Amino acid sequence: MLRYIGKRILLFFPTLFIITLLGFVIAVNAPGDPVAKMMTAATATGDLTSQSSSMNEQKLLWRKKLGLDLPVFYFSISNLSTPDTLYKIYDKDENMAAARLLDQYGNWEQIQSYYMSCDNFYRGAAQMNLDTAGMDEQKINAGMERLNTLIMESKALKSCYDEDIIQSKLATIGSILSPVSHSEKIRRAFDEVWQSHDAMTSATSKWKNYIPAIHFYGTKNQYHRWLFGDGEFSQGLVRFDFGTSYSSKLPISDILKSKIAWSLFFTLFSVILAYGVSIPLGVRAARKRNGFFDRGSSLLLFILYSLPNFFVAFLLMLLFSNPNIWSVLPASGVKPAEGYPEAAGFFECVKISLPYVIMPLICYTYSSFAFLSRTVRGAMIENLEQDYIRTAHAKGLPEKRVIWKHAFRNSLLPVITVFANVFPAAIGGSVILESIFTIPGMGLEVFNAIAGQDYPMIIAVMTLTGILTLIGFLISDILYAVVDPRINYG
Amino acid sequence: MFKFLSFRHKAHSIVAETENKQFSFREYSWKQFKKNKPAYWSLVLLGIWIVLAFLAPVLANEKPLYCIYKSNKLYPAFSFKKTYELTDANGENKEVINLATFDWKRADYDKVVWPWCAYSPGNSDVFNISVSPGGEQVFSKINEELIQSPKKFRHRLGTGKDGGDVFAGLMHGIRYSLFIGILSMLIASATGITLGALAGYFGDSGMKTKRGIFIFCIVGVFFGWYYGFFTRSFALKDAFESGGITFILQLLFSFGILVAVTGLFMLPGKYLSRFSFFRNTINVPLDSIISRLIEIINSLPLFLVILSIAAISRPSFTTLVLIIGFSNWTSIARLTRAELLKVSRLEYIQAARSLGLQNRRIIFRHALPNAIGPALIAIAFGIAGAILTESGLSFIGVGVPPETVTWGKILSEARESTASWWLVVFPGLAIFLTVTMYNLIGEGLRDALDPKLKR
Repeated sequence: MLRYIGKRILLFFPTLFIITLLGFVIAVNAPGDPVAKMMTAATATGDLTSQSSSMNEQKLLWRKKLGLDLPVFYFSISNLSTPDTLYKIYDKDENMAAARLLDQYGNWEQIQSYYMSCDNFYRGAAQMNLDTAGMDEQKINAGMERLNTLIMESKALKSCYDEDIIQSKLATIGSILSPVSHSEKIRRAFDEVWQSHDAMTSATSKWKNYIPAIHFYGTKNQYHRWLFGDGEFSQGLVRFDFGTSYSSKLPISDILKSKIAWSLFFTLFSVILAYGVSIPLGVRAARKRNGFFDRGSSLLLFILYSLPNFFVAFLLMLLFSNPNIWSVLPASGVKPAEGYPEAAGFFECVKISLPYVIMPLICYTYSSFAFLSRTVRGAMIENLEQDYIRTAHAKGLPEKRVIWKHAFRNSLLPVITVFANVFPAAIGGSVILESIFTIPGMGLEVFNAIAGQDYPMIIAVMTLTGILTLIGFLISDILYAVVDPRINYG
Repeated sequence: MFKFLSFRHKAHSIVAETENKQFSFREYSWKQFKKNKPAYWSLVLLGIWIVLAFLAPVLANEKPLYCIYKSNKLYPAFSFKKTYELTDANGENKEVINLATFDWKRADYDKVVWPWCAYSPGNSDVFNISVSPGGEQVFSKINEELIQSPKKFRHRLGTGKDGGDVFAGLMHGIRYSLFIGILSMLIASATGITLGALAGYFGDSGMKTKRGIFIFCIVGVFFGWYYGFFTRSFALKDAFESGGITFILQLLFSFGILVAVTGLFMLPGKYLSRFSFFRNTINVPLDSIISRLIEIINSLPLFLVILSIAAISRPSFTTLVLIIGFSNWTSIARLTRAELLKVSRLEYIQAARSLGLQNRRIIFRHALPNAIGPALIAIAFGIAGAILTESGLSFIGVGVPPETVTWGKILSEARESTASWWLVVFPGLAIFLTVTMYNLIGEGLRDALDPKLKR
């Protein structure tokens, strides 16, 4: 048995590897530049002044903190035209533009010089000042506006890849530049952009795109860092550090630690409740098959089974926390808005929270409860028809003993199978329920993360749920062996 | 048990001959299915649903079905034109009206036939925001005088917070739920049945190949992937974001390249087979590979995976269908595998093998028809599950494009106004009815295809 558990745990690793890889791939492919997103959030909330120099420093710092200055994986499969240092263009949009240009032209040297000249031009434009001497206010305003457009366009140019768009951007910049610029320097920079652009589009080497090449990066990469940490900013997944949330900038593990309690409470409690109710129900229905109780409960359970849980949640809210009909239960939260009274003991807290958790608990429980009862009933019916049950009756065993000791024990296998699926279903389903009832758990956090495009958070919950699922499978496998001695994992 | 399995195949069994007519398992199970009244009526309801889905653009529409306007006979609801040119009695004096922007409800008709529901989903009726089905509804006449809504223009099932008609939304929502449920399960069953059949039929030792071909096949798959998917990654990405049929076409094109390149690479493998090292036959452990794959996918938290992919990709129906489809094939594959393990040990398959039939033919013509039952049941339940997943996703607000109205989306509008019970009850009932329908069909199939439960 121990050996089996050991084997099983060893088998965890490939699965876990795939789960983490999947999460990581999703996170890397998420649109937009996370650092830029964090910066805009910071400037909007006033955490950060929009001064560009400190902004760039901040950006670099956050890039380092999030590990975005590293290559993505241990190796990369690419083509002959792609350099192994492409990841060093940190800005996600600019990186993407460079990759697309490579896809179009396949000549890295020219693309690089084009990118450099664009960057150079952008820097020059950003440092430009308006010579305001001898101008009236109107002229100054118009000039400032033109200058701002120039800076914006030259920044946008860096993340353009479509030839038509590049042409039109260059044309716009050129038209702005002629009246504004007095400096020869910026003009030369712009000419350089044109020259490098022409070089890029004329000297293409597309054939290089069709020859595969593999670059190895070693352990200094984002995935390795995400898994094992870099010892400086990140501890790694192995030490339960899931990274930093984009929206709150707090470590995700801290957020989850404070949120997991309610999620686990609802999951576990609903599992216990579901098993406690559905097993006797299913057994009773199976014993008096086709009787009144069986038919009634079957119909009811079938209806429950087909009801979507958010619908039930709303119906309950309509009925029980509706000021127009009957407002007995609070509609949201798990405790009063002002929190528990200070001197409240544990039991008092439970008493206060009880009305809050009734409706969510019903919603969590009913569907798995319907499913379980049907499973128990089916398995029991199959077993009660077997010969050994008749034998047990014939040799004069009491009814109870026949049912629970013989038939039920053999019907447990499908019930246990269901158990393995309860955890992921509970946490996955809780995204909807927690957002309806505003329960401060992981599901609500995921819901908010989706709204705020906070991908590390989504991936963290996904990974955690994957781990819980694996544990659920392990437990159910062990339970199989406990219930059925014929199953020998040796 | 055995008897029935041979029934299923069209072989002339002794029993069938004594019944004096050829026994068809299909006919038998259809008879059994029809005896199960709830399941039968669910199938009828599914038929009605499909008809409604096709007729929805006509049945719930802003434009009249038929009208005589300024002595012109018009059929606006059936028209694909963008504009109408009106003529007066003399055949002169042309007036051009734009079908999309014309104010149909307030026009002065000589005669008019309105559709069942005179509203389109998504269009908002600003005078009736969040009105209840039985409550007061107003209608603005052409002189901007507000009157009690005439019966034709009442919102039968109320409106949402933007004044969108719930009834029209429900009618059009049937399409989306049918579309997503059936198409995603089509993908899932194609994947699941194929992989499950391969795993069950060949097992770990059934598929033998020469070492040279095996090695070159793997190398070929890498290059096929490289040319099919890697070098085309930007084309695929753009297609994925634009969604729709283009993505599927691009994907098929990529798969085509993959297959072609792999085939090309297998040729030198065949040539190399004259050397003894490459000629040795080896087993391809197909069953182990596929079972492990199923195990891994089963331990993924699928709802969260779907959620994260749907949150990242710009939502479109095609991507949603693909995501749900490719994540739900495992149960179908498992059942098909188990069934084929059983069936491929039967004598008629052995006979087919010894006759020298091709494996492909044996699997698809002889083995699969006898093993499809459990998969069919799983597919019926799977459609119900897919519809629930879709409505859950659109309830949260990911997955479907913002301008489309689905049942889950109507329901989610109720979050902002708990007093609007009609936003909860009607779409909820629609989802419930559809899910129940598929579940009942699944149950009916289970009973009908199980020979032990003869009615």
